Amino acid sequence: MAHSEKTRLFVAWFVLVTITLIYLWMDHAADASAVLVASTAVTVAAIVLALVKARIILREFMDVRHAPQLLRRLSDLLVVVMAVALLGTYVVGRALA
Amino acid sequence: MSLSTWRDDPKRELWFAWYATVAFYSLYSVVFFLITRTQPPGQPWYRPDQVVRWFADRHTGLLVGFALIFVLGGFSATSIALITYSIRRMSVSRAFAYSYLILYSISAVPGFLFICVAMTVGAMRPDRSPGLQRWLYDLGFLSFSGTMGVFLIGSLIWMAAILLDRNRVFPRWFAYLNLCNALTEVVIAPSWIFQRGVLAWNGVIAWWIDVVVFGLYTGVFIYLLRSMIRREDFGTGPLPDLPPRRAPSSRPAVEAGAS
Amino acid sequence: MTTTEHASEAARPEEGNRVPGEPDMWFFVFFESLLFTSYFCVYLYARTQNERAFLRSQSHLLLWLGIVDTIVLLTSSWVMARCVQHARAGRHELARRFAIVTAGLGVVFLALKMVEWVRLIHSGNTLTSSDFMQYYFFLTGIHAIHLLIGFVVVGVIIYQLSDARRRSPRTIETCSTYWHTVDLFWVVIFAMLYIVR
Repeated sequence: MAHSEKTRLFVAWFVLVTITLIYLWMDHAADASAVLVASTAVTVAAIVLALVKARIILREFMDVRHAPQLLRRLSDLLVVVMAVALLGTYVVGRALA
Repeated sequence: MSLSTWRDDPKRELWFAWYATVAFYSLYSVVFFLITRTQPPGQPWYRPDQVVRWFADRHTGLLVGFALIFVLGGFSATSIALITYSIRRMSVSRAFAYSYLILYSISAVPGFLFICVAMTVGAMRPDRSPGLQRWLYDLGFLSFSGTMGVFLIGSLIWMAAILLDRNRVFPRWFAYLNLCNALTEVVIAPSWIFQRGVLAWNGVIAWWIDVVVFGLYTGVFIYLLRSMIRREDFGTGPLPDLPPRRAPSSRPAVEAGAS
Repeated sequence: MTTTEHASEAARPEEGNRVPGEPDMWFFVFFESLLFTSYFCVYLYARTQNERAFLRSQSHLLLWLGIVDTIVLLTSSWVMARCVQHARAGRHELARRFAIVTAGLGVVFLALKMVEWVRLIHSGNTLTSSDFMQYYFFLTGIHAIHLLIGFVVVGVIIYQLSDARRRSPRTIETCSTYWHTVDLFWVVIFAMLYIVR
């Protein structure tokens, strides 16, 4: 039991670091043409990946996985609210630019 | 409740202080937002002629509104006193209460009296040189926003007291709300540097978001002070919880007998 | 977990019912998250109105430094989670060492941040040099303040674990929740400042 918990934490860390390294690849691809250009795809992907990481941190490191249902739901709601707010602001901002 | 029980109620003074606190914050909001319209703050980048126009637009409001503050501003003392009382009621050292009291008493001067004086002086003689009017304008707003450091430390003192308190005077989440409030006050510090943008004294981050947090915080602590007074048993141990809500029929007799 | 909870357990087989740490600290997590989200929204909006200027300033950032920062903080969170596991299992001395490593990684992060700031300032990018830099220094600055508070919080954990009389599992969990929040915010800040185009 304790060993599987320990392994689970390591896997969580590993996944988080991998996602972080995906950013590296994304960044390379985005700047490949050596011209600085705004990109909705990169922005949206960046935000979504960040929130995926946030949820993993919440569930695994902060132990929300073992928490009562209310807290689990609230933490998921938080991630959703952040996603809507951030992506919404970006989309609206681009439309108004 | 009959008159005799009201006069004998030991919580009477506390309720006076609480109602005075509510009156003070209401007065403050009405004066600053509606009468003088100094909040939301004016733009930091105004040229002198624009500042002259700003004063002219608000001429009467400034003089009337801040006159009210000069007369009634002393009520701010009841708010500080009640909070100090709440910290005294905690199990922590009295040093916390005294520090809070001193800090907030001092901060009342730059915290809100400076702006009242500066803006009243500015409005008093509209024919003053524009450069001088802009000087008063800057002094008023910068002193109002830029001296948040004192309030920041005050919030942290209150937070520390609540976290160490064993008398459960306030819920612990309120301590963390103090931390949130303190952190938003840190955010106002850069307003000294910026004349435009989100961190200027009227910026979205330095003012608008801050005011939302501060408004919430103030509303919450006024509610919690009321809760504290209702629970107060004038002892030195943990404050009892509020009785569960029941039918209103039998309560007055029970309360008069209990105190 | 007591035997009286069997009835409710039948409905929800795998989880216990404990809130990690104090529920009050979770209030802080949600409140600060929303506050930071409002800051990010302001940033994103400003960015969309001025894309080219933001892109130009952003190109002065060193992405790999940001990546290293992120990995350092993620690792510190992992170590902190292990610390809590050890503390719960009664291995207090081991937990204490893990807490110290967490703080150490926090110091590494702070040092890297300062190196980055100094480098940027020397190349002419300051708080007032451009809109993007204003947001950069503001967000990383306020995050750094949260990190400094985090050191005090980890200090409380170490203090608790050092002495059998002082230990409170609840306090340790509450403090670790705070530390993870510092990591949580950084993960989003990193995406906002370094990756978003």
